[in-house]
Amino acid sequence: MNFTRRMFTAPMRALIRKELLEVWRDRRALGLALAFAILFPGLIAAMIMFALKSQGEKTFRVALIGGENVPVLEQQLSKGSFQLDSLSESDPASLLNNNYDAVVKIADGFADDYRNFRSPKVYLYVDGSNRFSGRGATHVQKNLGELQQLIVQQRLVARGVAVQLMAPWQVQVRDVSTPSSRSTWIFSSIPMLLIMTLFVGCLSSSIDTSAGERERMSLEVLLQQPVEAWQIVLGKVIAVSSISWFASILALTSLMVVFPFLPLAEMGIKHATTVWGAVTIALALLPLALLIAVLQILLALRSQSFKDAQTQLSILQFLPVTLLFILDMSAIELKGPLWQLVPLVAQQQWFKVLLVGDSISVAWVIAGSLVSLLLVVGCILGGARALQRESLLGAT
Amino acid sequence: MLWIRGLLIITLGFCVWVSLAVASSAESDNFESCHLDGWGSSLLCTDLPVGEGDTAVDLAVMIAPAVNDIGREPIYLLAGGPGQAASHLTPILNALHKVNQDRAIVLVDRRGSGYSGAFDCGINREITMDLGVVSERLSECYLEKTTFANALNSRQAVEDLEKVRIHLGHGKIALWGGSWGTRTALLYQQWYPDSLSVLILDAVAPIDTKVFLTARAAENALRKLELDCSEDPICAELGNWRVELDQLLVSWDKSGGANFPDPRSGDRLKVDIPRSFLQNLIRTALYAPETAAQIPFAVSQAGSGNYLPLSGLAGLLSDSGMSVGLTLSVACAEELNRTSSEELAADSRGSFLGTAFFEFFEEGCRVWPVAPFSYKKPEPRNHPVLLISGEADPITPYYYADQNLNYLSGAKHLLVPGGGHINTMRGCVPELIKIFLNSPSEALDTACLDDIQRPPFMVGFFGPEIDIPKTKEKVRVQEGSL
Repeated sequence: MNFTRRMFTAPMRALIRKELLEVWRDRRALGLALAFAILFPGLIAAMIMFALKSQGEKTFRVALIGGENVPVLEQQLSKGSFQLDSLSESDPASLLNNNYDAVVKIADGFADDYRNFRSPKVYLYVDGSNRFSGRGATHVQKNLGELQQLIVQQRLVARGVAVQLMAPWQVQVRDVSTPSSRSTWIFSSIPMLLIMTLFVGCLSSSIDTSAGERERMSLEVLLQQPVEAWQIVLGKVIAVSSISWFASILALTSLMVVFPFLPLAEMGIKHATTVWGAVTIALALLPLALLIAVLQILLALRSQSFKDAQTQLSILQFLPVTLLFILDMSAIELKGPLWQLVPLVAQQQWFKVLLVGDSISVAWVIAGSLVSLLLVVGCILGGARALQRESLLGAT
Repeated sequence: MLWIRGLLIITLGFCVWVSLAVASSAESDNFESCHLDGWGSSLLCTDLPVGEGDTAVDLAVMIAPAVNDIGREPIYLLAGGPGQAASHLTPILNALHKVNQDRAIVLVDRRGSGYSGAFDCGINREITMDLGVVSERLSECYLEKTTFANALNSRQAVEDLEKVRIHLGHGKIALWGGSWGTRTALLYQQWYPDSLSVLILDAVAPIDTKVFLTARAAENALRKLELDCSEDPICAELGNWRVELDQLLVSWDKSGGANFPDPRSGDRLKVDIPRSFLQNLIRTALYAPETAAQIPFAVSQAGSGNYLPLSGLAGLLSDSGMSVGLTLSVACAEELNRTSSEELAADSRGSFLGTAFFEFFEEGCRVWPVAPFSYKKPEPRNHPVLLISGEADPITPYYYADQNLNYLSGAKHLLVPGGGHINTMRGCVPELIKIFLNSPSEALDTACLDDIQRPPFMVGFFGPEIDIPKTKEKVRVQEGSL
């Protein structure tokens, strides 16, 4: 009760108001936070459109050399998403350089060899360095495979053999993924970007409120006010985190608005994030926003100068995100209970689950958020002690 | 104090939102994840108990949920037969995968089929050619499950379907029916018009059409094949295979089983092979253009004494997957009972099939004495309807779409060149279905149907000829050309 009484004293309220005004009036800080929050959904949308282009339906340009002698093959290759150009003798490599996704060359004497069961060759030229080439080749093989299957069936029937003999067993592929779980690969980068928004969103204001105030000598005036040092740190943390939390919520909201307009269903992917899930993400971002704000403020306070603070915090922007990326790549099982208590890692895991519309354990979310909040309290107390050291104020 | 209250509200809010998030993700807990052969993605499955006592069955309901559910009505697939299971319609599910992007597809195995208590009388896989043996087994089967057999009919299937719709909480639904499934769909439209949004009928069997009279339709399909073969420069070289077929049928010696080695084991058959076997083999091969393309060569080879290709064709077509008990209950009560011998004689006259198809049902219905079930005259309906027909369908010919369906206003008709029975998966038809479902009242651009061609004819032991161009010219069969 002592804490709450002190928390809401008139000077404290005035302090928080002053900090909030300073942070929200700083156009540069606000601009940076908002720009990142708006750029981020744009980045995700662009990434998805790129993935769609390389995975979705596409018309492939295929050149057929020697096709005039085998019109049935030519007709078969024209089916589906192909723009087929039948050419006489030509160099496959130069055709591939000339925007063709694949080149099919029919061997000389193909029809005679086919009739005589000598299994003639079809040459499929691809350019392995072209990202569409592999898919073009797969489509060519699929089309030719259909005709090949028909011919095999006819040859077996002609000999009185049941086609089933060619399949001693059938392999039935059973994909256990759901349209929402298939979206994991697309949504996996979103938690990291949301966390990054928290870092970038409070970068400018955390430096200004700590190292900036120290340089402007207004920090000394603040320390002379009838408020405790921890109250000063808390006031700054609340103000700074408010802007980064707002930026991350804005980013999340823009994503929710953009996603329904993306043609995800064409890739068999479902945007399954529920309103509940989005609100849960927004709320779970709050303890993290506080933690990131307090860490940035403390780091800026212990830096030698404003410039030094800028350098140190710039490095801090990428450090946790790089760490999360490495953890992701290192195939460590991050779904274990202990990881649920590690700030950043825990939030990243929850967001991943919530974004694909799955449920998370309420108990672990509360426990994990409490760990983050405890760290915030610890940092605030540590920061308060640091503020009382004269050496800190003397740094320029 | 206001701050404390604020903090408390935020904390409470946090807990409530998280709980709601957990609850909302668990809303589909009545369904189990399941799979069907031929469809890789997982489905949601549930059982719905229907009927009482001896007629009780847990109806198998399988749903392919919309990838992106934007509130469009689901589409239910109704299988043919009668006796085919909706769970065997995975080829249709694959063809409609784009429809599935924003629309759930629901499959219900009707009572007595598939996973809903398949009523196959133990003759699902091994089909004997001796009708006497089949009759005996069917008779035992009927006596064993008389109440169940007597209860199966279209009314029951429609009522069950309506129960499923209500159980799943669906408002209006779209129906896709294939072959006999079109009959069920048309009856559903009569009895539950308010539950229906649109109908897609592939290979339509109108309510007032006697679809078990198939000889004329089969003959027309064979003549269309004859015509297409004669226009193909290579197939034409096979000569007059139709005459050879007629001669083969006239001079058929049923003891010639040794000519027909078992296409799976290679063993010589020691049983008699009736003429009806060959007639039904040709009829069944006409169902799909891929198998129809092998008829001219197989027949011309048989004409020269080589029965191997015909045997191979029989091997290709041997698995029907029908629940014969269900087939007979419905066919005997709803079709055979209203078909006179005069109509049968008129239909079969001058056709290669004769009464070969009908006689199985005639024989079967003798030992399957279900009560007749008749339909009322259909009442006018104005739901949007898309009719899909194959130009060479041997059982539900394209001209059925123009007969006995006058009570439907707003029907569109797709005619697939060279198409056999069921054409939903051919060429641009799935795309047209999607367009129709999304805007049923708008005109469809059907020009893309002209790109659909018959597969190349088998003309030798090597298969089709590949270095002679196929003719693109198409000649439509004249209605009632028999």
